Amino acid sequence: MTGQRASLIAIVVILGGLVGVSALNSSSPGDFGITLLSGLFQGMLLFLVASGLSIVFGLMDVLNLAQGSYFMVGAYVAYDAQHAGGLIDLTAVIPDPNLRFIIAVIAAVLAGALLGYLLERGLLRPLYSRPIFQLVLTFGVSLVALELVKFIWTTTPYSWTELFGVRESFFELFGQRFSTYRLFVVGMGGVLIVTIALLLQRSRIGIIIRAGVEDREMVQALGINVRAVFTLVFTLGCAIAAFGGAIAAPFLGASTTLGNAFLLQSIAVVVLGGMGSYSGTAVGSVLVGLAIAVAQDVAIGTDFAALPSITPMLLLVLVLLLRPSGLFGNSR
Amino acid sequence: MKTMQAPNQPTWRHWLRGNAFLFILLIGLILFPFIVGALTDSSPFGVPRGDRMIMRGESVRWQSVLIEVYILAILAMSYNLLFGFTGVISFGHALFFGVAGYVLGLMLEFTAIETGWALLLGALAGIAICGVLGLVVGLVTLRLKGVYFAIFTLAVAEMAFIFFGRWQLTRAEDGFAITELPLWLDPSQNRLNFYYVTLIAVVITFLFIRRLVNSPTGAVFKAIRENEDRAQSMGFNTLNYKLLSLTIAGMLAGAAGLLQVILNKKVGPELLGVSYTVDPLLMTIIGGIGTFSGPIIGAGGLHFLDVFLRDAELNLGGLVIDIANIWALLLGIIFILTVIVFPFGIIGTWQRWRARRKPPA
Repeated sequence: MTGQRASLIAIVVILGGLVGVSALNSSSPGDFGITLLSGLFQGMLLFLVASGLSIVFGLMDVLNLAQGSYFMVGAYVAYDAQHAGGLIDLTAVIPDPNLRFIIAVIAAVLAGALLGYLLERGLLRPLYSRPIFQLVLTFGVSLVALELVKFIWTTTPYSWTELFGVRESFFELFGQRFSTYRLFVVGMGGVLIVTIALLLQRSRIGIIIRAGVEDREMVQALGINVRAVFTLVFTLGCAIAAFGGAIAAPFLGASTTLGNAFLLQSIAVVVLGGMGSYSGTAVGSVLVGLAIAVAQDVAIGTDFAALPSITPMLLLVLVLLLRPSGLFGNSR
Repeated sequence: MKTMQAPNQPTWRHWLRGNAFLFILLIGLILFPFIVGALTDSSPFGVPRGDRMIMRGESVRWQSVLIEVYILAILAMSYNLLFGFTGVISFGHALFFGVAGYVLGLMLEFTAIETGWALLLGALAGIAICGVLGLVVGLVTLRLKGVYFAIFTLAVAEMAFIFFGRWQLTRAEDGFAITELPLWLDPSQNRLNFYYVTLIAVVITFLFIRRLVNSPTGAVFKAIRENEDRAQSMGFNTLNYKLLSLTIAGMLAGAAGLLQVILNKKVGPELLGVSYTVDPLLMTIIGGIGTFSGPIIGAGGLHFLDVFLRDAELNLGGLVIDIANIWALLLGIIFILTVIVFPFGIIGTWQRWRARRKPPA
């Protein structure tokens, strides 16, 4: 109980500190709002990668170092489906860009799910008796994914050019223009956080997953096919990461650096929140997202241009030094 | 492996017999530049022009290929000490490789110390800093579960990559060239000398690791790999042993980084890139995890494959692909296949096959 209270205090302090620094650093409420919104935007994207990472680690003891690659693949598939040219050209079939964006996101999710299923069934399953090799293998898969993407789409980054509904509209607050799309992504992330939480808390499969995180052998002994649950959870985790990539693409574009960046950031999230803890992942995502946004703000006009990219790693190092089990993790 | 020692045989002769294959290989490698030179009718010293040497000809070209193999072999052996013998997996080995390279480069180019001393100081400082770095990284994470160490090294190496990639003093992404090197070591003037320097470094590393792993300390390393809890309950402070292994591995990787900087006469963030983590990992696994010669075989095999395939083309029914473009992809696929179907690597599989053929008497 005291541990939980300490975690809550820590969260409030970090959150307050971040918001405080941001408020001091920004000259107007509008600037402050922008920092806050971009932090939440980044945080929600991180959550989409980190949730799969965390649940899969808690349930299967596999740290999937290829999780960031699914995000990247999602971004590329969505970009490719939306725009003319490329592998799949839908511009002639579906002229409406809004509808095509929905199709593009669905295509990305399906691609992520398929690749996730193949990875778990084909490559990870033979290795459950050799856990250290699973880590090595997912690292290898992330390299292959990166090289495949380079091979198919070349190394030149794509920036999203086709505007549609939510992507092009803005709203004004405190005399500052905010992109509606960011708010849209934050909303989507919030909906997903709640949906997954409900799924874990209320549904039968969610109960099995939570029981599996607690004690895998016991669940198996109760006559539940844990392997099938593994496959399902792994596939879903990859699909969510690809979904994240797809909805991030209109803002961040598609580039080969996405995978590694989001992998490291979401690892920071998972360690900060506590490995295998769902609520920890949700809180950690928001904290890391805000921290990156604040760092971006602080770095403007100084020599620390690398600060935003180093921030998640600094957080990771700090957490490992001070409290390796994370905010919500069991101390083991 | 272990044969009974005949009582009246001098030890050195016995030692020579036990290592006959390695000894012949070593002599072959010592003579290699001259053999290639004689076969292709080119001088192993390069072509003299005025008072300078031009590094041209087959012998000189193959020397540099082998130098690269030696450097990768040292890196892979250091990785193997950590991963193969102690069971600690790192995803940031490039950190040590690159940091040592940067230290040497800074010492040579950015200080007023005389070249020879700068080289010596830079090399010593680079290796020492790598040792300290290994110690610090280990102290932070080696108490935790193995996966935290892997994550932490990945993050620290990435952080260093980003940092050096943006550091204005060392010209950020472009890096800087090494212009001051003692003439006798300069690979663009006396490559043969540098060839022997790297060869000696490989031999020393090999003998050192073999001595270390066969010592009582090495026995504890292997016990940690097999079952850390058990080693702990037998009274060994496993943290100290893991720290020792990591520190030594870091210093060896740093030494490889120094040699790489001298060979390319350039320092840049690519030294910290992920490929210098992937390469030793892959070479160790393909050659044979936890074997002495595995990493060397892996380094040689993969690098020669790279050199031979670099100019080749793959013809897939009209679609012509340069191997050079998909080399990293091929490596990744080989990597995954090896992990799944060939986990003991070349040497490991061979040793198992031999052990099965010759049942112990």
